[in-house]
Amino acid sequence: MAMIELENLTKNFGPIKAVDSLSLSVDEGTTVGFLGPNGAGKTTTIKILTDLLSATSGRAMLQGINVLTDPKKALKNVGAVVETPEFYPYLTPIETLAYLGRIRGMHTHEINDRTSEVIRQVKLEQWTTTRIGKFSKGMKQRLAIAQALLHEPDILILDEPTSGLDPRGMVEVREIIKELKKQKYTIFMSSHLLGEVQEVCDKAALIDHGKLLIYDTLETLGSLIKVLNLEVTVLGDVGDSVLSKVRAFANVKEVERVTSNTFIVSLEGGPEERADLLAQIISTGVKVTGFTTVGVPLESLYMDLVKDSR
Amino acid sequence: MSQQQHHARELPTDIEHIPIVWRYELLKYLRSRRLVASVAIAALVIVLIFVIPPATGNPYSGTDKAVNLFVSGPQGIFTPSLQLPGNAGIINRSVVVVSSLEVFQDGVREQGANWTFSSTGGNIILFTHNTTGHTYTATYRWHETSESFASGFIGFANLLIVICATFFGADAIVSEYQARTGYLIFPNPIRRASLYMGKFAASMTAGIVVIAIFYAVVGTLSLVSVSGLDKNFLMSFAFALEYLLAVMAVAYLISTLMKGTTGATVLTFFLFIMILPIIDGVVSVSRIKPSWSLTFSAGTISNILTSPYPSDTITDYGRGFMFPSYYPDPAISSIVMLAYALVAVGLSMVLFRRKQMTG
Repeated sequence: MAMIELENLTKNFGPIKAVDSLSLSVDEGTTVGFLGPNGAGKTTTIKILTDLLSATSGRAMLQGINVLTDPKKALKNVGAVVETPEFYPYLTPIETLAYLGRIRGMHTHEINDRTSEVIRQVKLEQWTTTRIGKFSKGMKQRLAIAQALLHEPDILILDEPTSGLDPRGMVEVREIIKELKKQKYTIFMSSHLLGEVQEVCDKAALIDHGKLLIYDTLETLGSLIKVLNLEVTVLGDVGDSVLSKVRAFANVKEVERVTSNTFIVSLEGGPEERADLLAQIISTGVKVTGFTTVGVPLESLYMDLVKDSR
Repeated sequence: MSQQQHHARELPTDIEHIPIVWRYELLKYLRSRRLVASVAIAALVIVLIFVIPPATGNPYSGTDKAVNLFVSGPQGIFTPSLQLPGNAGIINRSVVVVSSLEVFQDGVREQGANWTFSSTGGNIILFTHNTTGHTYTATYRWHETSESFASGFIGFANLLIVICATFFGADAIVSEYQARTGYLIFPNPIRRASLYMGKFAASMTAGIVVIAIFYAVVGTLSLVSVSGLDKNFLMSFAFALEYLLAVMAVAYLISTLMKGTTGATVLTFFLFIMILPIIDGVVSVSRIKPSWSLTFSAGTISNILTSPYPSDTITDYGRGFMFPSYYPDPAISSIVMLAYALVAVGLSMVLFRRKQMTG
């Protein structure tokens, strides 16, 4: 059963089409990364799914219920973090979770049990009785994730969940999402961070100008990646003549010196072309001490698709 | 994940959602000290009105000792058809406590049989004998009428109501958008109508608390200071609550229309304190009674204490300059306030439901 289903979803802001006939389906227990450049329509789509915006046309179904016509019922089993929400500064985390728990029909004992659990999950145990007005952005983001998990929703909709967090916080949130993924939550998350999507998600959807460019499993998307960046480190300095020779090798798109003994090669092709390149570099007489892919593989596909769409 | 537990969970109905929202919104007013500030303003108004007149020599009650009575023949005071036993003296106070009244002739206490007290048409001592050639003084306790006492305070009820609507209503909706708390609350399974009603109920509760405290304190002071409560005091309270409802509804409408909390707050306050009263004044000068105006109708809150209820007059200042004084009809005022409340609530609920989180 599709947990999330968008059917020709369109949202116009005057003459601008923020979302343009977007159709997408997310199956139960799947973690989907929703990618796209700024202004692509990611947040608009998520806002429509969470009843923050209306749609111009189309349908946005959550567990088979159209959120545009019956948001109360559709959002019953949904937990959402949209942008970095602000909290009521006069409430403490415990009071905020109690408020939202009551709105979601949870009983007091259930709220108490789950509050302790989610507060521990997002590591806010020390701040349970502090008014949120004193919280940093990172702490608010953690609390936002806690409130989304409070009622054990079937669907989690996360809009850039690691936004505003320090590196440690980002790792912790990713770990939480991975843990939820193991528990078979259906997760739909937008992100600018391709590495994050690659690390956490089963599938990725890429949109630009409100249109879906590609939507598939990460394995399938990986097979579509044409160009890889490889960092090559050699013993001693690498001369310009060596770099010129590498540039001339088959499938090499670009060569860029990084340090006196390191350079990056953009290579078109798969594992076979990589092996050939390594052999050819060694044949020039340099002693290779390092040969690794750099950057996020998904990045090149992303850049290619976005470039094509613009 | 305990899926069975949460699938069995029933969502509260739309009605059940209202008290949940009400409770936490009320907590906002308590913790943000707005409620305390409103009560403090009410207390300040009461203290100033209660303290300043006595401090400047105009107390609400007191004891006059050995006050000279102006004594004359009754025909100077009463209509000729009245048959009176003798001469009369006037006490120039609103209400005289008869049990405390003592009359002295040339410094010697007069027997009660020689005089009677009447409060009809003024406070008058009627003597049963000829008073010529004597000096008469009186000692008595006195106080203002409960009507005049209450009017001095209740005249400020309108201002307090506007302050309450500004504190508790003006930013109630717009803050969800500007402060981005809407991102937290809107993606929950709750209808905007329930959210609106919960918020509105909390705003009204906070406002009612302030106005009720104000009326309770004024009523108590009236009982203590002037030994009574105006017969229309509770009616005035009822009109004040109705006005609060209407002003709060308009404040919510402004809150749904505006994009910033500052604009909504400033507009709400000045609309009721300045803009609408100016319009009422201009319309009145044009000799049109602004019965449809909310601020004009609010005049009933204090006018209802006046007995008899004031009627419209047009004063001729000569050279063609006529100045009208209009007074709202209580029944029409009640209908006007209710109409404003219903229309503003209906309209703002629709707008709130349609308002989008675009920021």
